[in-house]
Amino acid sequence: MKKLIAVMLAGVMTAAMVTGCGGSADDSAQTAADTQEDTTQEQETDNTAADEAVNTETEAQEPADEDAEAAGDSDLAYVQGKGTLVVGITDFEPMDYKDESGNWIGFDADTASAFAKSLGVEVEFVEIDWDNKIMELDGKTIDCVWNGMTLTDEVKSAMECSNAYCNNAQIVIVPQDKAEQYQTADNLTELTFAVEAGSAGEAEVTALGAEFTPVKTQADALMEVAAGSSDAAVIDSLMAAAMVGEGTGYANLTYTVQLNSEEYGVGFRKGSDLAEALNAFFVTSYEDGSLVQTAETYGVQAAVIEQK
Amino acid sequence: MELMLEQMPIVIRSLNVGFLQTLKLFFVTLLGAVPLGLVIAFGSMSRFRPISYLTKIVVWIIRGTPLMIQLLIIYYFPGLVFGTPIWGGGESGRFLAASVSFIFNYACYFSEIYRGGIQSVPVGQEEAGLVLGMTRSQIFFKVTLLQMIKRIVPPMSNEIITLVKDTSLARIIALQEIIWAGQAFMKGSQGISGAIWPMFFTAVYYLIFSGILTVVLGRLEKKLDYFR
Amino acid sequence: MAILEVEHICKSFDRTEVLKDISFSLEEGQVLSIIGSSGSGKTTLLRCLNFLERPDSGVIRVCGETLFDGQKQMSLQESEIRKKRLHFGLVFQSFHLFPQYTALQNVMLAKELLAKEQPDYKVRKKEIYEEIRVLAEELLRQMGLTDRMQNYPHQLSGGQCQRVAIARALALRPDILCFDEPTSALDPELTGEVLKVMKELAQQKTTMIIVTHEMAFARDVASHVIFMDDGYILEQGTPRQVFEESHEERTRQFLSRFTQG
Repeated sequence: MKKLIAVMLAGVMTAAMVTGCGGSADDSAQTAADTQEDTTQEQETDNTAADEAVNTETEAQEPADEDAEAAGDSDLAYVQGKGTLVVGITDFEPMDYKDESGNWIGFDADTASAFAKSLGVEVEFVEIDWDNKIMELDGKTIDCVWNGMTLTDEVKSAMECSNAYCNNAQIVIVPQDKAEQYQTADNLTELTFAVEAGSAGEAEVTALGAEFTPVKTQADALMEVAAGSSDAAVIDSLMAAAMVGEGTGYANLTYTVQLNSEEYGVGFRKGSDLAEALNAFFVTSYEDGSLVQTAETYGVQAAVIEQK
Repeated sequence: MELMLEQMPIVIRSLNVGFLQTLKLFFVTLLGAVPLGLVIAFGSMSRFRPISYLTKIVVWIIRGTPLMIQLLIIYYFPGLVFGTPIWGGGESGRFLAASVSFIFNYACYFSEIYRGGIQSVPVGQEEAGLVLGMTRSQIFFKVTLLQMIKRIVPPMSNEIITLVKDTSLARIIALQEIIWAGQAFMKGSQGISGAIWPMFFTAVYYLIFSGILTVVLGRLEKKLDYFR
Repeated sequence: MAILEVEHICKSFDRTEVLKDISFSLEEGQVLSIIGSSGSGKTTLLRCLNFLERPDSGVIRVCGETLFDGQKQMSLQESEIRKKRLHFGLVFQSFHLFPQYTALQNVMLAKELLAKEQPDYKVRKKEIYEEIRVLAEELLRQMGLTDRMQNYPHQLSGGQCQRVAIARALALRPDILCFDEPTSALDPELTGEVLKVMKELAQQKTTMIIVTHEMAFARDVASHVIFMDDGYILEQGTPRQVFEESHEERTRQFLSRFTQG
């Protein structure tokens, strides 16, 4: 009964933390990083406590116990133990998307499948809510985030990241009839922007000093522009290429200024040895040409970064 | 417009899949929460104080916090705090976690409606049953229950219609119900991107379904109109 | 032998004493009227007899069988109490008919549920149901409700409802039928029809205890009258003794209000 109350209280408190950091947009990046560190620390203490409990219970067989502990710390061993690599993704052409028969394909999806095969495990793709990616990782409901994720300081501090494998940029989206006036970064501050909350795009607009509205996804940002509630949006260039312009749903939008250049990486649980394993896999698959070959299938070969 | 007609079959197929998930969650929640609510109602009316206090505290917590937070806690907490992701990462695990959250949440709301319903049946009904030599369970099932049902049908209809729409909250733990399916076409999915209309089109599904429920529940209410 | 013996019953709610040392007895086929002002403990006394309240002390005996003895540890089991209750029937002031059942179903329900406990119920199900239905119809006919059997309570007048309630109580064939102010919730023009059936029951030698404010009726029908005041039995005896030759000032005061009013 006491235990139940303790667990409930812990639940309510952590819930308060989670909502607390999601609430305000302006300082969410910093707070999110902080909260994440807190959570990680908490988890470490939990683990130690659990380990101690195990130790006192099985003091007699210490050597065996140490082996078990070493295995327990290895994420690679954990994944191989359960036989599946659960990859957290969102529907994001051309990195992860469904083919006609409902299978996940794309540059990221195909590479993830190949990586899982090299580890000798099955791959399982799970669509997640992008906002919850860190919770999904730490809660072990997924094993990695592999979805054209920009390597920002926040991302790097919250996850164990692989080396960068793909170039990307943040790019300004405006209605076609305004494109003429906004071909350089100089007068962009005249516009009001819509950006995905906590995204690399938000960081760029903040740096510009322009007025902006944070929205839930990059797609929402585009909708804001299409609906006229914001003048412009900042989204990933790889996404813009697929979603904006002639022959897409946003035919009367276009992209103009490139604000920065950035890189994609794969995120694992903090301290996971899977990141190392993936880096090694990137090197071999770049050397034998299979990585670039996969990229060519989806037309992103120009963006692939050399692995060595 | 032409584009929309072209996209229609793909979108409808996808929305149907999402709506099936919505329906599944709706019916599983009802099936679980209707009886569980009765158990909780009896708990909170228990003459054994510790039980009634405990259930009242639980009901207070569940009703006093957003369902969205409960979904997050129930789905992510086992993995985050105890390192054992009991639900797993797949679709079925997410559905199970969502079902548990919804059943529990709605059972607590139902329990308060039940409690009001039971207490609104005059004490005289129970006493009349007692002096006629009926057992307490006979009195509940043969005398009180139907009178209580009659009284709770209108507030329950309200909750049930709300539940239809609340199922959309489950997408916070990435359960792919109908709004998720509609939203996917905004971001880009199955070759359609930047399409906003599928999202708004989901409203039609909700509208039709809640319309059917309104008719069914209205009939039930009418059926119970034979007594006062 | 007296069918009912009540000895030294006391009952208090919190610190308020509601019944103080109540003793009386009743012969089979007699009608006992209990009169007294509101709050004098009449209703509580009836509720104690029907086990809706538990006396603090005293003894209740029916046909020589001790149903309650405050000095002995009596079984509190529901099934035991149920059996004891069946010696009594109770007609409430506000009827408490079951609204979802017709008049006929109201009369049949309790009997049907009891029948389920008979060992041969499964075999004779249909037969038993028929027996109960015939009995219930007969009782309702006796109450003058022949053409009202299929009506729901909300379709009946107050007087009709109360007559259904009487039939419902009679269906279980109680040793003693109790009435708790059976006409107080009725419009004046409807009391007559209820009092009429009660009078018929008295003529058929039904043992009854009637708590009432209908003084004329009590005087007319009762074989025995109890006047209660502030939890005590202040006076008891034949109607003539209580109404005309009362010893107590309090009794005369109470009665004068009715004769004047």
